[in-house]
Parts: sequence; structure tokens; C-alpha cells
Amino acid sequence: MRISVIGTGYVGLVTGACLADSGHSVCCVDIDEAKIAKLNDGIIPIYEPGLEDLVERNTRENRLSFSSNVTEAIESGAILFIAVGTPPGPDGAADLSHVFNVVRTISATATSPKIIVTKSTVPIGTGEKIREILDTNGIRHEVVSNPEFLKEGAAISDFTNPDRIVIGTNSAQAMKTMKRLYQPIVDAAPSRRASVIEMDIASAEMTKYAANAMLATRISFMNELARLCGKVGADVKLVQNGIGLDPRIGQRFLNPGIGYGGSCFPKDVQAMIATGREHDSPFQILEAVHAVNERQKSVLVELITSYYGDDLSNHTFAVWGLAFKPNTDDMREAPSIVIIEALLSHGARIVAFDPVAQANAESIWGDRISYTNLNKDALKGADALLVLTEWKEFRVPNLARMKDELGAAVVFDGRNIYDPDVMRKAGFTYFSIGRPPVLADTDA
Amino acid sequence: MQIAVIGTGYVGLVTGTCFAESGNKVICYDVDESKIQALENGNIPIYEPGLSELVLRNASAGRLRFSTDMAESVKDAEIVFIAVGTPQADDGSADLSYLFAAVENMASHLTEDAIVVTKSTVPVGTNAKIFAKLRDWTGRDCNVASNPEFLKEGAAINDFMFPDRVVVGVRQSEVGDVLRRLYSTFLRTDKPFLVMSPESAEMTKYVANAMLATKISFINEMANVCGCVGADINDVRKGIGHDQRIGFAFLFPGVGYGGSCFPKDVRAMMRMAEHQNVDPQILRAVDEVNLRQKTILLSSIEKHFNGQLAGKRVAIWGLAFKPRTDDVREAPSLNLIDALKERDVHISVHDPVAMENVQQLYGDDLEYALSPQDALDHADALVIMTEWGEFRHPDLSEMAQRMASPVVFDGRNLYEAAQMKKAGFVYYSIGRPKVMPD
Ligand SMILES: NC(=O)c1ccc[n+]([C@@H]2O[C@H](COP(=O)([O-])OP(=O)(O)OC[C@H]3O[C@@H](n4cnc5c(N)ncnc54)[C@H](O)[C@@H]3O)[C@@H](O)[C@H]2O)c1
Ligand SMILES: NC(=O)c1ccc[n+]([C@@H]2O[C@H](COP(=O)([O-])OP(=O)(O)OC[C@H]3O[C@@H](n4cnc5c(N)ncnc54)[C@H](O)[C@@H]3O)[C@@H](O)[C@H]2O)c1
Repeated sequence: MRISVIGTGYVGLVTGACLADSGHSVCCVDIDEAKIAKLNDGIIPIYEPGLEDLVERNTRENRLSFSSNVTEAIESGAILFIAVGTPPGPDGAADLSHVFNVVRTISATATSPKIIVTKSTVPIGTGEKIREILDTNGIRHEVVSNPEFLKEGAAISDFTNPDRIVIGTNSAQAMKTMKRLYQPIVDAAPSRRASVIEMDIASAEMTKYAANAMLATRISFMNELARLCGKVGADVKLVQNGIGLDPRIGQRFLNPGIGYGGSCFPKDVQAMIATGREHDSPFQILEAVHAVNERQKSVLVELITSYYGDDLSNHTFAVWGLAFKPNTDDMREAPSIVIIEALLSHGARIVAFDPVAQANAESIWGDRISYTNLNKDALKGADALLVLTEWKEFRVPNLARMKDELGAAVVFDGRNIYDPDVMRKAGFTYFSIGRPPVLADTDA
Repeated sequence: MQIAVIGTGYVGLVTGTCFAESGNKVICYDVDESKIQALENGNIPIYEPGLSELVLRNASAGRLRFSTDMAESVKDAEIVFIAVGTPQADDGSADLSYLFAAVENMASHLTEDAIVVTKSTVPVGTNAKIFAKLRDWTGRDCNVASNPEFLKEGAAINDFMFPDRVVVGVRQSEVGDVLRRLYSTFLRTDKPFLVMSPESAEMTKYVANAMLATKISFINEMANVCGCVGADINDVRKGIGHDQRIGFAFLFPGVGYGGSCFPKDVRAMMRMAEHQNVDPQILRAVDEVNLRQKTILLSSIEKHFNGQLAGKRVAIWGLAFKPRTDDVREAPSLNLIDALKERDVHISVHDPVAMENVQQLYGDDLEYALSPQDALDHADALVIMTEWGEFRHPDLSEMAQRMASPVVFDGRNLYEAAQMKKAGFVYYSIGRPKVMPD
């Protein structure tokens, strides 16, 4: 099957590479010519484990190509995936201008019937609007919603070993074609669990938001409870384990922290809230989820200012982790942004380290903060260490050396990656989320 | 071991019986003499599958006794479980008066090394208060542990004997060891025995119920939006349930949660947070959404009948707050009955086991039908409020015949759209498109 993927960002590139790898012939297009030029030179513009190999192999074997000529790609593809960005507009609702631009181009230029598949996350009713735009042209195209559930940092395995593939369409023919398209992935999925779930377009669009909204709800729920745990002397980590063993709840997505970030949860939750308001059916729980998340980003700063006072101008903080989560260089809506900005406004100096997000961080802060390459250097002379992203390499540090290098043995852990008992024994003052603080014996 | 259980309600009776079944000598105590009398005569005051047989067997084997005498119950006990009610007080917080009354009564009879264990659901800090009060009343430091109960009504025996996990909160590890031994017979399947501080244990119980309530209110709101935008919540549910991080459990839309635990525990937790100056934003939303959801069908009913409800006949299937229990505490059916009565609707009801409890509340205001079909005669509409198994495959043509007009408001999404369409029903459900007959 000849496939064109329109929009070669995170989702578009992974979709194109994985579909090519399952034997299809794929052209990825983007209006960003610099991006396409890089890809044609074998340079992958994002950090994603395994992606580079996949792209290299499939381009070498001529199943995957890149182009900045959108109309040509529309003409050559039988199935057109739309994977352009849908960022939040000023009111929180998704901005669909990129999606509609693409659809209008298809409507104006396609000379044969296409199956048009929306991979971008779009609000409920968008499929309907796409249909209306296409109907202005004489050709009968089919419209499909096929939301993407991949996670940055595990995108390849999520795409090729999915929990489920959701396909929404009213056309039996398009459904058949889409199932054929995904059959190689279903057959090869190591889990043997992958299955196609068929539904109508509106339900498919809703499914994507519902999934992210549920995950965001779990996070904010735990963050709200962590605040309470901290106050009543309960340990949120034990509570988390106690409830997670209930199979009706499950262990996943119960880690309290400094709030969710990234390019999906915040925007999808806000888009869902906007949809609810539009229909006079306000989404009370999600409004609370969003409010709790905004609030959660300042929790660590509050701990810091109540420990040192509001004036931090004589303080240097080492920061480990900037990306919104591990295994990605994505800094969009990362809690680290809010936290570091707040600390800077209190006069603090920041020395930051992230295994892959530093380049993106530099475009945010420039030289307002400094960066180090080796995480041990990030501690030299600092008054405290802040852990903002739970990268694996931060989990088992050499505590003795850490204590030596730090100006004072103080850690603010926004991700609960250390054991309070271990920190106490190692002589640290240790603050974490929803657990009683460890105050080092200053005489020791 | 010799065990006393103070408070022989749902939790106390199941706890006592299951520990007797595993070979301990148990005395179940209660202040309610008629309840104890009934139990001594072999009459089980609650509906719980399998419980009656277990009680009788262990009572006749002499391992399970019932008593209204605190001294007799506690004087030889190595472990004293407190399982009295902790209902909602007027301000939403947990009312601990029964609990402290029980603690005061037992204090003078406790042996030196008895372990007092709280099974009742109590706010964080209660363990410390019990410890302090017992010190006042006995003049010594007593062992006080926390052991929240996670059983579900309707599956209580199984939940107790095959728990997903047992949580205990202790201050001395030796106390944890005694409780581990007591529970070891139920932990054969290597399910974890979690030892933590009493504060964390007390918290765990509330958090578990709050999370389950959150999942329900979440999917209910999602369903309401689906209804507005023409999506089908059932498809959405499948679409998200396959996600390993989410799962299918507890994501069934409906008419809201009820019962003696979720509503009160969510509110108690809100009060706990407010006392600590933590604004419980999510919990408040969960509670408010649930209140609204309990009468969500009312607006569809009113719309369907153009606001003309007076004199209409409505049949209700299901009164208990969930299937396999006769418990109607905070059941959504009650909110609906109240609203319909206010609008002068004639109501006939059927529930396999909860009718007696509802009759105590409404007397002759309702008609009580002996079978589901009998409730339907001349009804203008049927409303389904509880997903009892026996409602799942009814004879649709008999239903249509008996009703004055074949209209179903299904608060539990029991039926398929196509099936209802074919059988000639107008069919409303939660978060799915309305169905009109062919
Ligand atoms: N990133 C994720 O983890 C993730 C996961 C699931 C779903 N999604 C959704 O997928 C969509 C894409 O997200 P992303 O992270 O890949 O975004 P992105 O910003 O990385 O990529 C979007 C790309 O589209 C290109 N583009 C914009 N207008 C175009 C046009 N008219 N023609 C061709 N190309 C055009 C841009 O140049 C850019 O390269 C969004 O709706 C997002 O919500 C993202
Ligand atoms: N029912 C459930 O599904 C469930 C599940 C888990 C936890 N819980 C918790 O367990 C506790 C008990 O709940 P329940 O449903 O068994 O309540 P219940 O109302 O069925 O039983 C409470 C019993 O305590 C007795 N009692 C009251 N004061 C007493 C006193 N001073 N001394 C002795 N007995 C006294 C009452 O007579 C009654 O029999 C509550 O805290 C509840 O939140 C209940």
C-alpha cells in the first residue's frame, strides 16, 4: 500500500518509519524544508531510542522517503495520514488550523479518491468537519480517525507492540483497508495482545482524550493525596503500593511528583475541558485535575523557600533532569520550566544537567542558567540538589561522593526516587513529595 | 488464637467468621442485643452469599460465639478487633463516637499484652488517639494497630479469604508479626502482607476508596460528554481499557456510586484535607459529579414525557446500591424515587433482595412487585438502577407487551442498541446515543 504521512514531527516520523518497517511504501512530508533536508541527510531531528536505525534501514531499502512537496505526496499516496501539530489555542481548545490546511490542500489537489486518516489528536467533531471540507470537491474520499497512543521515549515499541489500535470510520471499505494496513503490526506484536478496536469517528476521537484524561487524573489524584500525606505523617509511597495492589486500581501511573508536562497531557486535558464547556457539560473532574497540576509545579519551590527563606540570591542549586519525563529531550510544558523560573526570580543560581534535553533547555534559558556535562560536576559547591526528572542514571548515585561534592548535603527530590531511610543514614537532609522530610542531624 | 470482634455488623461478622473458619476461637460482641440474639439463633441479619453457612458451621463447632458482655468477650482475647460503624457526621467527617465508646468499654478488660486492632475505616490520627485514650484508661501503653478492611459487600467472604493484599499499620514490628501469623492462612497465594505505620495504613483505606470513586465519577462525566457529542461511551471504554496503564475495572458508566463506604469515605477524606489546609479539589469534584449523576436519568425522563410526569406509571428494576447486596444506603435509586414521588409518579419496584429495606423507608408509597416482569404492568417507562444479573437477559417481547409504552431508561447500560431497536423499544442509556424503534 502506498502511504503518505503529512507532518513529519514526532508522531509522523514514528508512524512513517514503523509502517515502512512493516513492509509498506511510505513518503513522509513536511512543510518544514530544513527538517526534510536533515532527514534526507540521515539526521533525526528528535531524540527517540531506536528511531535512527529504523529510519536508516527503511530509507536504504527504499520503503521510506522524505519530501517537502505536499501535493506530490497527496497524489502518490492511497492512504494519507495527517500527523501535523494541534497545539492549544489561547482558550485551551485545540488549534486545528494545520489540520484544516492539509485537508483543504487535499480537497483542492487530489485527483483520485483517498483514505484520509487523522493521527493528530483532534477534538470530537473534527472528523465531521473534515468530511464537510472534502465534500466541497466532487471526489468521494473516506475519512478515518486513528488516534495515536505512543509515548515519547518508548515510541517505537508502543507503535509496534500496541495495547490496542483504535480505528474509527463509518466506511466499511476504509475499515477493511485500515485493518489490512495494520495486520502486519498486529501479527508481529510480541505481546500477542494487539488488536484493532473498531468504532465510529466521534468515539475514536473521544477515546484519545479519554485515555490521556484518565492518566492525567491518576497523576493529579496522587499529587493531591501526596500533599495530604505530607501533612498527616503518612508515607505516600506505602499508600501508593497499598492501593495499587487492588486490581481495580493497578500500580501504573500512581507516582506523585511535580506535575505532568509534555506536549500531550496538558493540552489534551485542556481541550477536553473546552469541549465540555462548549456543550454545557462542564468537566468538573478535569478542571480539578488541571488546577491541581498547575499547583503541583510550585510544591518543590515552596519546600525550598520555606527551608531557606524567600531570598535565594546567595544560593546555587544543582538540577538533575530538565525534560518533562525520562528518555526524551522534550521540554514542552516541562515542570522544570516553572520551577527554574521561580527559583531564578528568587535570585538563585542554577547549574543544570540533563542527559539529552540540554540543547532544548538552552533555547529556553540561554545563559540565564549554566549547564554541565557530567552529572557529578553539576553538584560542585551547590547548596542543594534538585531532582526534577527521574532518569534511570539518577537512581543509584554514589551518595558518599554526592555528599562530598555538594556544599551542603541537601536534596529536594521531586520524583521520590530515593529511599528516605537510605538518605537519613547517608547523612542527608532530604525532602520529597508526600513523605515526611528527613532532617539531618547537624552535629553528625 | 483467641480473638474478640467488637461490633458485629457487616465487617465484624465477616471478620469474626472467617477467623473462626481458619481455626481461631472468636467472640463477636455487639451492643445491639437483638442482633446478637438473632445470631445466636442462627439468623444472619445481613444478606451476604455464603455467610450463613459459614456462621452456622463455626458456631456449632464452638469456634464462633456471640455476646453482649464486653468483659467476657475481651478478658481472654489476644487480639481485639474494632469493627463498629464510623458513619458520616453532619459536617461530612467520620463520626468516631461509637469507636471511642467501644474503646472505653473494653479498656478495663484488656489483658496486658492484648493487641487492639482497628478494622473500621478511620481518619488518619485515630490510631494515635486510641493509644492515648487507652493509656489514660488503663495506665499503660497498649498495643494498638491499624488493619483497614477492603472487602466488598456481595463478595465479602471471598475478599476476606483471598485478599489482594493485607495492610497493617503498627508501631512495633512484633505486633506486625502476630498479625502476619493470623493472616497467614489467607495469604497462601503469595499475596503481599504490607506492614507500615498506622498513619499510612489509615490513609491507604481512604485513598483506595477515593481512587475507585474517582474512576467512577470520571467515566460518568466522560459518558455525559459522549452523550452531548454523539460518541458511544462503550466504545471509548474499550478504547481506553486496553491501555495497560488504565485497565477495564471500575470504568463502567452508570447512575453514580452509593453504599455505606464510597460516599462517606470520600467526604471524610475531604474534611481531613480541609483540616490540614489542603484544598481537596479532585475529591470535591468527584463527590459533586456523583450527586448529579444519581438523578441523571431524571432529565431524560422529563424530556421524554415533555415534563408531564404526574400520573405516569414508572417501574424501577434494582434498588440496592449494587448487585448481590440488600444495602440501600446512599443508593441512587432512593434519589430517583424521591424525585419521581415529588412529581406524582406512580412507582412500582422490584429488587431481588433489597425490597424489604426500601419498604422500611417508603412503606405503601410504592408498589412492590415479586418479579421484574410483574413490576411492568401498564408502566409508561422502565428505569434500571442496579445491574443484577437477572435483568440482563429479559424476555423483551413480554416486556413490551406488559408495558403501556415500551420505553426503557437504562442506568447501567445492560442492553445492546440493536437488540432494543429490533424489539421496538425507545431506549435511553448512559453516554450512548438514544435508540428509536425500527
Ligand atoms: N508527541 C506525542 O507524544 C504524541 C502522542 C500521541 C499523539 N500526538 C498528537 O500527534 C500530533 C502531532 O504531534 P507531534 O508531537 O508529532 O507534533 P510535532 O510538532 O512534533 O510535529 C508536527 C509537524 O507537522 C508539520 N506541519 C505543520 N503544518 C503542516 C502542513 N500544513 N503540512 C505538512 N506538515 C505540516 C510541522 O512542520 C511539524 O514538523 C498532535 O496532534 C499530537 O497531539 C502526539
Ligand atoms: N460494609 C463494608 O463494605 C465495609 C468495607 C470496608 C470497611 N468498612 C468499615 O467498617 C466499619 C464497619 O462497617 P459495617 O458496614 O460493618 O457497619 P455496620 O453498621 O454493619 O456495623 C456496625 C456494628 O457496630 C455496632 N456497634 C456500634 N457501637 C458499638 C459499640 N460501642 N460496641 C460494640 N458494637 C457497636 C452496631 O450495633 C453494628 O452492629 C466502618 O468503619 C466501615 O467504614 C465497611
